[in-house]
Amino acid sequence: MRIELSEVIWLEEHELSRSELAELSGLPVPVLEDLIDAGAIEARPQEGGPAAGAERFGGAAIRAARAARRWMQDFEIDARGLVLALSLQGRVERLELQLRTLRARLPNGVR
Amino acid sequence: MKFKDYYAALGLERGASEEDIKKAYRRLARKYHPDVSKEPDAEEQFKAVAEAYQTLKDPEKRTAYDQLGAHRPGEEFQPPPEWGTRFDAGAFSAEDLDLADLFAQLHAGRGRAGAARPMPGMDYEIAVPITIEQAYHGTQIDLDLNLQEYDEQGRLRRVPQSFKARIPRGASDGQRLRVPGKGGKGANGGRAGDLYLNISLRPHQWYRADGHDLYMDVPLAPWEAVLGTAVEVPTPGGPVRLRVPAGTRAGQHLRLPGRGLPRPRGGEHGSHGDLYGIVQIVVPGVVSDADRALYQQLAASASFDPRAHFVEGGR
Repeated sequence: MRIELSEVIWLEEHELSRSELAELSGLPVPVLEDLIDAGAIEARPQEGGPAAGAERFGGAAIRAARAARRWMQDFEIDARGLVLALSLQGRVERLELQLRTLRARLPNGVR
Repeated sequence: MKFKDYYAALGLERGASEEDIKKAYRRLARKYHPDVSKEPDAEEQFKAVAEAYQTLKDPEKRTAYDQLGAHRPGEEFQPPPEWGTRFDAGAFSAEDLDLADLFAQLHAGRGRAGAARPMPGMDYEIAVPITIEQAYHGTQIDLDLNLQEYDEQGRLRRVPQSFKARIPRGASDGQRLRVPGKGGKGANGGRAGDLYLNISLRPHQWYRADGHDLYMDVPLAPWEAVLGTAVEVPTPGGPVRLRVPAGTRAGQHLRLPGRGLPRPRGGEHGSHGDLYGIVQIVVPGVVSDADRALYQQLAASASFDPRAHFVEGGR
């Protein structure tokens, strides 16, 4: 029997607290704290600045935290290694996005 | 139960040291991890390597595994009778149990002897390639998964699950959807895992996507580009007439506002991306005598020099 899924959420639409992000990603809280302190995982910019309200994390933070959890488990790397890996991953993703944009604009047969 | 050769999975002999096992795993994890590898079967390869490492890196599990002796991979075998006690699996049925699940519960079973702490279910992440038309209109996909979850006795089992998931309109390449609670079931009151759908767009014969904008080639005959025209072009929402201004050059982008992919829940710049037609001037491969005569007449009378800037630049 097939089950109709009633709730499917765009990752980009999430608004999570720090503890919710830890729970959702499976990343231990101290490691998550290290990654946030190092700027490898960032909260969403808030209107009125950081003092305006509690920090909230969105889709980009969820992707980063989940990737960090995978790499920590699969490659046995520590928080400092994760900061470096996330920074490089971010650069790869930005370059892939640029490449996709450029390829889309090239005529067929040139790409 | 089917035998798996964990040493072969890591490319090792049976007498390999702990250090050898760690090194082999790191090398193969680097090669096959789905986050870094572009090999088509990377995920399956990595799963096999990780499964082997999870057992062989743990001295207790490795000893238990070694007691099985050597078999051919895939060969059916019967585990020793004392495994039922060792793995806290009771009178387990070896037929419906995977070797990896059995080793995974070696320590889980020990945990249950003390305070039963909640264990969240596993998250699952799967690639979902869809067409541009499916992204435009939204679609439903069938998902057949083999989820790892604990049964009422706390034993790990693989349970086939079939879902029908709705992909809402507005998906674009690289976007992700979360399906809460549709991963593996938790144990001891732990929350169920989640299912993550990684959306990718299949290559299309006409359209190329950049976010929610689409690009497509619009071939024009030389006289259409010079004189201007209106041409019918396909869009995901249906064909439209595109006005081509006189003097249009190859490579120019003709914008069709709002004819790209829809954005989820509208978005700040309107509900759809744009579609850009990239002009290509196409010449006929075969020219009739009459047409050739017209081209020759044009060549003789036209003053246009497309290479004038070469001469001007050389001065």
